[in-house]
Amino acid sequence: MPQQFAQSQHQNSDTSENQKQQCSEKMTSLRHQQDALDAVLDDISSTLETDAEEYVSSFVQKGGE
Amino acid sequence: MPELRDSSNHGSGKHTHHCKEYDSYARIFGLETEYGVSVTETDQSCDPGQVAMMMFAPVLSRSRTTNTYLENGSRLYLDVGSHPEYATAEARDPSDALVQDLAGESIMRQLVDNAQAQLRKTHGPNATIHLFKNNADSAGHSFGCHENYLVRRYVSLPAVNHQLLPFLVTRQIFTGAGLVNEHGFEITQRAMFLEDGVSSSTTRSRPMVNTRDEPHANPDEFRRLHVILGDSNRSQWATIMKLATTHLVLCVIEDAAKRGIDSGFEACSLSNPSAANQAMSTDLSCHRPVMALENIKLFRSAQQRFHANSSTDCDSAFVRYERNVQISNAETVSALEIQYLYWYIVAQFIEKHTGEIQASLPETSCLYVLNEWKHALDALNDGQIASLSDRVDWIAKHQLINQMSKRNPMLSSVQQREIDLNYHDITNGTIYPSLVHHKLMNTLVSDDAVQQALTRPPADTRAALRGTFIRCALRTGVSFSCDWTHLKTTVPVHGEAEINDPFDYRGDAQYAGLIESMKRSEV
Repeated sequence: MPQQFAQSQHQNSDTSENQKQQCSEKMTSLRHQQDALDAVLDDISSTLETDAEEYVSSFVQKGGE
Repeated sequence: MPELRDSSNHGSGKHTHHCKEYDSYARIFGLETEYGVSVTETDQSCDPGQVAMMMFAPVLSRSRTTNTYLENGSRLYLDVGSHPEYATAEARDPSDALVQDLAGESIMRQLVDNAQAQLRKTHGPNATIHLFKNNADSAGHSFGCHENYLVRRYVSLPAVNHQLLPFLVTRQIFTGAGLVNEHGFEITQRAMFLEDGVSSSTTRSRPMVNTRDEPHANPDEFRRLHVILGDSNRSQWATIMKLATTHLVLCVIEDAAKRGIDSGFEACSLSNPSAANQAMSTDLSCHRPVMALENIKLFRSAQQRFHANSSTDCDSAFVRYERNVQISNAETVSALEIQYLYWYIVAQFIEKHTGEIQASLPETSCLYVLNEWKHALDALNDGQIASLSDRVDWIAKHQLINQMSKRNPMLSSVQQREIDLNYHDITNGTIYPSLVHHKLMNTLVSDDAVQQALTRPPADTRAALRGTFIRCALRTGVSFSCDWTHLKTTVPVHGEAEINDPFDYRGDAQYAGLIESMKRSEV
């Protein structure tokens, strides 16, 4: 069972203490996010070194549903 | 298989003893995913159809057919056009359907790994098989990810058309998988291929909801709603949310139909569902009033009513209409406006029926779903679209393409399409795993849970009975066949059992006798 969706978790509490903490966590997480995004873009750059035309045009699927 | 029936809202008219879940809000969920196949880097030409057959060689040798049911209760088969397809076992909770769907991905990966090793012996050491969990190839073919919901028979097809379809079209602002095509970027993979709203056609034109009536349950009690307009999702959040929010909307529609009252969703009825679907798909802002309704006055007055109510009813923890939604005088509406109205009506309904609705989902918290839904709408409404890139497929993909275009202004349309396809390539794709690895895409299910689901069906539906039957047959060597509602053995013992109630996980005397006879034959 995905814990985030489990029945014990209903409402997010919204006290001002929590909000302050969330704000500071958010700033740190934004910085981490940009680093992470750069790493993913590096991975994509390597992927794009392959033959994009072959990769895309070879995918032809007939039928279905 | 049950014989096909006319899809009216009446059963046979015979008085029947209703199953115990008939009067509750319990639901059966199922996902059918068609995968696309391609091959690259081969020394000689290779037909994807041939590769699909290679994938299914182990299935063929076990079952003597490419259409089989597995120990986890699911159906694995090779569909028309060489589409590998996986249909999850019946689930009572969206989270179980998600785990079963991920087990399907894992099974497909195993089949590809075997086939790729074989292929490299004959087609060169770099031959690579790609399996796409998406809905569009490069030549304009479309294929589906179908959702099944068991719905009480008294919900009429016009109710599905007028009250559910506007929700299914507009929910795609948070469940769409995104598509790069010759026109640029769209929210959904499927909008341009769907021409009809609710119809029984499958070949002449594609409807958004198919009325083919195979309830796989007592047809006097239930119909099986077969939703075909949805995209295949990589995001686990999106998979749970599309099932869970649709369930909540269906609860409201069922309650209204049962009591002979309006659900409130009538106000959202679209004047042209396929035009609305296409317009929604190309409005990346989700704000533009691109959809025409059958009765705009009804919609505006419903908005006004809820807006007014929310001003005096602020104490409620979760029923609060979004103040930032400006009520406009436009003759057409945006996807967000429709979604907010659905959200509000559902929230109000759950507030009145919290216990019953929560009881319909064994694991998932309906209030958490309601919060997540609202959070997604608010983020889209407030222009915080990027904040959803860790859970909404189209936003994740769109962000990557935008960022790559900034980094490399020469990024070609073919390269953009490659990024799009790579995101859905479950065998040799790199982008989705990279997003997960760098924690830019949320996951909700552990690898262990998926591993267990390879052989374990949901424990609280008839899938448990099918799973036990198949496990027993494989262990004892008894020849068997089965489908969603029938189990049969032939050699050395003849026997059969019906499992017609999808909520029954215990089985009746006939089922117990069948299992017993198989066990005896082993001795």
